[in-house]
Amino acid sequence: MLRFAVRRLAFAVASVVAVVVITFLLVHAAPGEPMLGTPERTVASPETIARQRALFGLDRPLPEQFLRYAGNLARGELGMSFVLHRPVAAVLRDALPNTLLLGGTALVASLLLGLAAGALQAARHRTRTDALLGAATLVLYSIPVFWLGLLLLLVFGEGLHWLPVSGMTTPGLGDDLSRLGRALDVARHLVLPAASLALVQAAAFARFQRSALLETLGAEYVRAARARGLGERAVLLRHALRGALGSTITLAGLSVPYFLAGSVLVESIFGWPGLGRVAYDAIFARDYNVITAVALVSGVLVAAGNLLADVALAVADPRIRLGQ
Amino acid sequence: MRPRPLLAAALLLAACARGPGGTARDAMVVATTGDADVLLPPVTSVTTGINVSDLLFCRLAEPTASLNTVDDSGFRPVLARSWEHPDSLTIVFHLDPRARWQDGAPVTAADVAYTFGVYRSPDVNAPLAPFLGAIASVTARDSLTVAFRFSRWYPEQLYDATYQMRILPRHLLDTIPDAKLATAPFGRAPVGDGPYRFVRWVAGAEIDLAADTAWFLGRPGIARLIWRVTPELASAVSQVLAGEADAMEVIPARGQLERVQGAKGVRLVPYPSPFYAAIVFNLRRPPFTDRELRRALAMAVDRRTVVQSVFGPFADVAVGATSPMQWIWSDSVRQLPFDTAAAARALDARGWRRGGPGGMRARGGVPLRFTLLVPTSSSVRQQAAVVIQDELRRAGVAVDIQPLEFTVMERRTETGDFDAAFVSRTIDPSPASLLQWWSPGAAANIGHFADPAFQSLTAEALRAPSRAAAAPLWREALGRLNDDAAAVFVFSPRNNAAFAARIQGVTIRPDSWLATVTSWRIGGARAGAPERGAARP
Repeated sequence: MLRFAVRRLAFAVASVVAVVVITFLLVHAAPGEPMLGTPERTVASPETIARQRALFGLDRPLPEQFLRYAGNLARGELGMSFVLHRPVAAVLRDALPNTLLLGGTALVASLLLGLAAGALQAARHRTRTDALLGAATLVLYSIPVFWLGLLLLLVFGEGLHWLPVSGMTTPGLGDDLSRLGRALDVARHLVLPAASLALVQAAAFARFQRSALLETLGAEYVRAARARGLGERAVLLRHALRGALGSTITLAGLSVPYFLAGSVLVESIFGWPGLGRVAYDAIFARDYNVITAVALVSGVLVAAGNLLADVALAVADPRIRLGQ
Repeated sequence: MRPRPLLAAALLLAACARGPGGTARDAMVVATTGDADVLLPPVTSVTTGINVSDLLFCRLAEPTASLNTVDDSGFRPVLARSWEHPDSLTIVFHLDPRARWQDGAPVTAADVAYTFGVYRSPDVNAPLAPFLGAIASVTARDSLTVAFRFSRWYPEQLYDATYQMRILPRHLLDTIPDAKLATAPFGRAPVGDGPYRFVRWVAGAEIDLAADTAWFLGRPGIARLIWRVTPELASAVSQVLAGEADAMEVIPARGQLERVQGAKGVRLVPYPSPFYAAIVFNLRRPPFTDRELRRALAMAVDRRTVVQSVFGPFADVAVGATSPMQWIWSDSVRQLPFDTAAAARALDARGWRRGGPGGMRARGGVPLRFTLLVPTSSSVRQQAAVVIQDELRRAGVAVDIQPLEFTVMERRTETGDFDAAFVSRTIDPSPASLLQWWSPGAAANIGHFADPAFQSLTAEALRAPSRAAAAPLWREALGRLNDDAAAVFVFSPRNNAAFAARIQGVTIRPDSWLATVTSWRIGGARAGAPERGAARP
């Protein structure tokens, strides 16, 4: 187990380093220029741009810039944002927890919904329920996240006024609410963006779970459980479901990039102040240090997701022996 | 009974869900699509940063609604109670002794002199520094008297002395090196002297200001202002329609405007925009070196149809390199007519005759074809480009539209690597800003337009002692620019701000939509949802 963990950790570190190097090179090679402004920003004079470039060392040769960046990174320094005039670490410190809250909620919700729907479909195989849920999951899986987000916003926010359409808290009320009140306020704001991310992925989990369960329900140990006189519900929940969890757990681990990518769109639609928004703005402003730092954090999250999935898989399925 | 966690969570959420419009009733919530960068006037360069810091920091004087930049009658006192011109190169300002920083310290002449130094400092790199080039020095004569010395006389001296700088608190900033000002904590929690004081800034989410009830020019009518950041335009509009926000500075897309037009409890307030959009030709690249060809292309474009099809009633055909915000705007500016017959004759006369592939024009086997760069950030310019492409195709001219990301397009135009570019220009109230884009040698003169007559007219206009004397000269200069067809000036959008019905007394000064916010007030309840607890003062 230890050897496995060390090996996976080393692989994860190497992957993250590769992501950082590739991102650094790509953003610097991409056409465009960080100091030229965005449609939102005032366009500066050439002299101002030249001074800004010198200030951030962008007038130096690329290898020198990379070595300087790598040196800073080794000391735990992520540099300054060209646009926000803040240390990149502070930008991430503000945004990352919000993305983890959104992505984590969406992941848990999608797993719960997906597993429940998949189990129900498998239990009611070839019935009307199975067909209806199959159609529903297919439709959901086909919907682009941003489109679903806008639809939920228009229906439940603007139309029915059930839930807030934007932001993470109610404007101006933060200081007037109790801790519980603030938590509930955030929860209310979380519903629509998390649902936008979760519903699409839940459909994927459901389809995988259904297939895996159907396969497992025909396995020998499940037949043996039935032969021992266990009820169909107990067979499904205690035996078949555990055996079929493997593919879904693997998929959950692999879905971290989906939640990160999805957050770029969902956070923009719902005004959720997270990492996706930071990345979106940084890309258009060519804020190199922020882009590279977001890639670094994303790389770490993806590696951690995969690692956790491996561990969860081993816990869920006793047949798996890590490191072998 | 088994626990039902999902049901319990849903009930809990429902219990606390009293409708989406539950903001403090004394706050005006502004939906904005971008966060601020820093709240320090010399450094901030994004719309929200400018809007917020404008309410935290005062100018010496403010333009009146007329936006007359030429003489003193167009300004009203703010930090400066009065001013005088002892000679043609000096303006002496007398500060209002009631003006205070929000920490209680008085606003002094030393603050003004310090501010000038900050704006001019190469280490601060203020985007507006070039506009202060004619000011030779700023000297504090006593605690409430400050003298601006100019290197030359010109009628817009007062405008440059007051409009380009917002005064900073020297006592809080002078220990910070200029190079560190942009990143200093002050820029994220500023202390100002304006009608509003800083409360908090949640990065990427919200900026809160509270009215300074002791502001020396009178208590603002709205107790709190909250900027709510929502990058997606449709979502920001939804916030207003759902009653979660009270105002938006501008709704730029026709579809979104039509959503608001039909909504209850929300109204649009139109005001002139500081933008115009134009197709700029690269005058150093054939075939655009040929003036007659450019004129023919300009005459082949029916700008009225372009504006109508893209904007409907929400934009004007641009009369030239200006916008309705500037006092030089006039329908009387000389423009090339939409005349396809004249365009065809001119192209034929230059040897560009039909007969190329698809009936398009060609000369000596070379087709009349060019690439038009359009930024992907502007859906309206992309739509307008398609209409123009079709109009020019009918004239026998092939246009390849190349959508480019904004910074990439800026790079291409800056380096001269383009045939034609569909650009937009943000201008300030002074017609002198025209020269930033169209004078020879100016970095933003991407098409390399140069016309001695235009230069001479603008130089004369800059020296004209009154608006009445300057306006005909500026308009003639605009006419010269149109004659030369260095660009096709396509449209100037009509800005429309959206307001909840409860926001009353709204008037908008076109260059700065919140400039008069101190006289606005909150009337009834927010549309769409019940109110929740009142905010603290």
